[in-house]
Amino acid sequence: MPVSRWRWLVLTLSFVLLTFGGLAGVHLGSYLPTFACYFVGSDTYGGACFLATLQMALAEGNLAGLFAALTILVVAVLLIIPLGGAWCGWICPFAFIQDVLDVLRRKLGIGYVRFPETLRRNLRPLRWIFLVILFVLPLWAAFPLLVPAVARHLGIPFCELCPVRYIMPLFTERAGYMGVSFGSITTFVLSALGVLFAGFTLVGAFFKRRFWCAYCPMVLLLSFFRRISLPKLKKDVTRCTRCEICYNVCPMDIEQVFLERQREDVTFPDCVLCMECVEHCPENDALRLTYGGITLLRSSRAAFSRRRGIDASQTGPREESHE
Amino acid sequence: MSKRKQRFLRALGRSSEAVLRGMEAAAERPARLGYFIDLMRSVYVEDCLPQLPEEPAGRPGVVGLYCVMAPEELVYAAGALPLRLCGGSYEASCAGDELAPRDACPVVKASLGSTVLGAPSLYALCDMVVVPTTCDAKRKMAEELSRHQNVRVLEVPHVKESEGARRQWLEQLYGFKSDLERLTGNRIGRRGLAQAIALLGRARHQARRLYELRQGDLPAVRGSEAALALHAFAYDRAESWCEAMTLLNDEIAQRQADGRSAFDRRAPRIMLAGAPPVFPNWKLPLLIEEMGGMLVTDESCIGDRYLYDPVGAVENTMEDMMVALASRYLMPCTCPSFAPNEDRLFRLRQAVADFRIEGVLYHVLKGCVIYDFELLRVEALMAELGVPVLRIETDYNPEDIEQLRTRVEAFVEMIREKKRKGVGR
Repeated sequence: MPVSRWRWLVLTLSFVLLTFGGLAGVHLGSYLPTFACYFVGSDTYGGACFLATLQMALAEGNLAGLFAALTILVVAVLLIIPLGGAWCGWICPFAFIQDVLDVLRRKLGIGYVRFPETLRRNLRPLRWIFLVILFVLPLWAAFPLLVPAVARHLGIPFCELCPVRYIMPLFTERAGYMGVSFGSITTFVLSALGVLFAGFTLVGAFFKRRFWCAYCPMVLLLSFFRRISLPKLKKDVTRCTRCEICYNVCPMDIEQVFLERQREDVTFPDCVLCMECVEHCPENDALRLTYGGITLLRSSRAAFSRRRGIDASQTGPREESHE
Repeated sequence: MSKRKQRFLRALGRSSEAVLRGMEAAAERPARLGYFIDLMRSVYVEDCLPQLPEEPAGRPGVVGLYCVMAPEELVYAAGALPLRLCGGSYEASCAGDELAPRDACPVVKASLGSTVLGAPSLYALCDMVVVPTTCDAKRKMAEELSRHQNVRVLEVPHVKESEGARRQWLEQLYGFKSDLERLTGNRIGRRGLAQAIALLGRARHQARRLYELRQGDLPAVRGSEAALALHAFAYDRAESWCEAMTLLNDEIAQRQADGRSAFDRRAPRIMLAGAPPVFPNWKLPLLIEEMGGMLVTDESCIGDRYLYDPVGAVENTMEDMMVALASRYLMPCTCPSFAPNEDRLFRLRQAVADFRIEGVLYHVLKGCVIYDFELLRVEALMAELGVPVLRIETDYNPEDIEQLRTRVEAFVEMIREKKRKGVGR
């Protein structure tokens, strides 16, 4: 079975488990470094994103809260290290939604959109802004020294902006959480922006692979630990022919993997370890997935051909389907 | 038919037949190579294309291609037959002497000569001729060709890494696609293109199989034979070529399993680098083997590099397939017309490892400045890897063969001697 099938299997199971696991009594806690939305409801979800609980702890504004936030962070980091980017590629329930939209697009025969490099570069700061919102605004809410009228209603600010918070609860019909909130001007602005982002994201994910992931602060947080995370993408720079296939199949549009001519470790910050590049690399051993130094998966021309319905020992032409 | 053309065809037939007959007579030749020898014979000796039947509804469109940057998938998807036109005959290069400057390379002279003469007749058949802008000589050749043929210049960027160049290249291919649609009157749809990609994918898979079989300790196919089989793709339909190549590969695999080979186990493993030998200019490949060298691979754009890289489309969408084609036909290409061309050095380094190369014969076609330019870098790389390099500058003229023989012989002998000492130590 090609690795992409395994990924779909894990991703689908993880979506079901994290979104509806609570109904079957599964509770993996609310410290997960992945976008399993807290607003799905604790009686329904099987596990939730640590960013919500982190913000709540920070917003408490006392030592106990700060200590709780620190604990949450430590637990999250301990969870990040064994899986690294795979949290985004293999587990994230919102990645599942985006990938389903992507499959829908392919089935309709519509090509994907690739943003030009300059636009991508200009949009990069967005995830840093989200990260700052995530850590700083809850503290402002806790200690409203400036403009307290605004600060008081901040709540958990990143979640209010996060498109996932407006999309995932749709699966559990928690309608109260879904729309624009008119509680105060602050909540109105935040939730209106959030609903706007959610709309953009749904349309965007249909036309552009992994649309949201380019702005997701979780991808950024995970990338801080990529050096000490156990799974790594490795490249043999001599075997690489720079055919650009890995870039074309990369849902995160990572260009550096094929351009790299020196380093062996090509686990670049955006990498979600989806393994598309390893699966479609036509050169033997040019790309590998290693886990703690042990090779789990390697690229090969045989696998490349097999994936395209070409049998290695085939004699004579044969009809085949093209995915 | 003019007298001049008749004379030309007779001379071309004679020299091509001499090469083919020599290859046919070779000991331990794989039997399945016969298909490719016959194909070359019909093109160069009998002057007919077996793959182009006169159909009652008129023959299919024929698209002539130069270099290796025009996607053949698009030609097939448009229902036309692609033919590779880069010329290799001495007689044609003489005919082209008056059409190009003295210092132009023989590939360009031969191509011009054959076009103007309309012989071999595949040059006269083309409804459209595609010339990618690779080196200066090819670019100016396109201009000259356009006086005789319907020329479509394909603008290839010379710096591959820049995003703008790649986008412009993709646009070129979309333009090429609509030109083909206009020429043939057939729309290139998703289905047709996917089928063409799959068809050529199967052919390339066989080319790759041959490449890997030849990495064995004792290849059951000579380098000159493998190069001829790959070269034949230029004049064949991909389906028939793929079928014949599958059979040849099966035979080679069987022969290797049985330990049968034309080579002596101690023969020095030689790579033919630099400019491509184009049929019937089979001077160097045959010379290396005649002098006892084991020609294991080359980096020729009509040999080992011709069909090496695959198209990596994953979606059944026009956009993805076009992007995959654009990547395939630009990025992994190591033609020295690209600058920077570090990629070529990486490929050579890998080839030395894969084929356990013991000597590199660096072919410079007179007038091909760009391959000669990169000699220094290749020499430095090979010095690092401890592989001796012999530079040979020549053209299609058979007169220098004796002189070349002496040099190749000395080179092969030198490596053999080095090897013997190495073993003794």
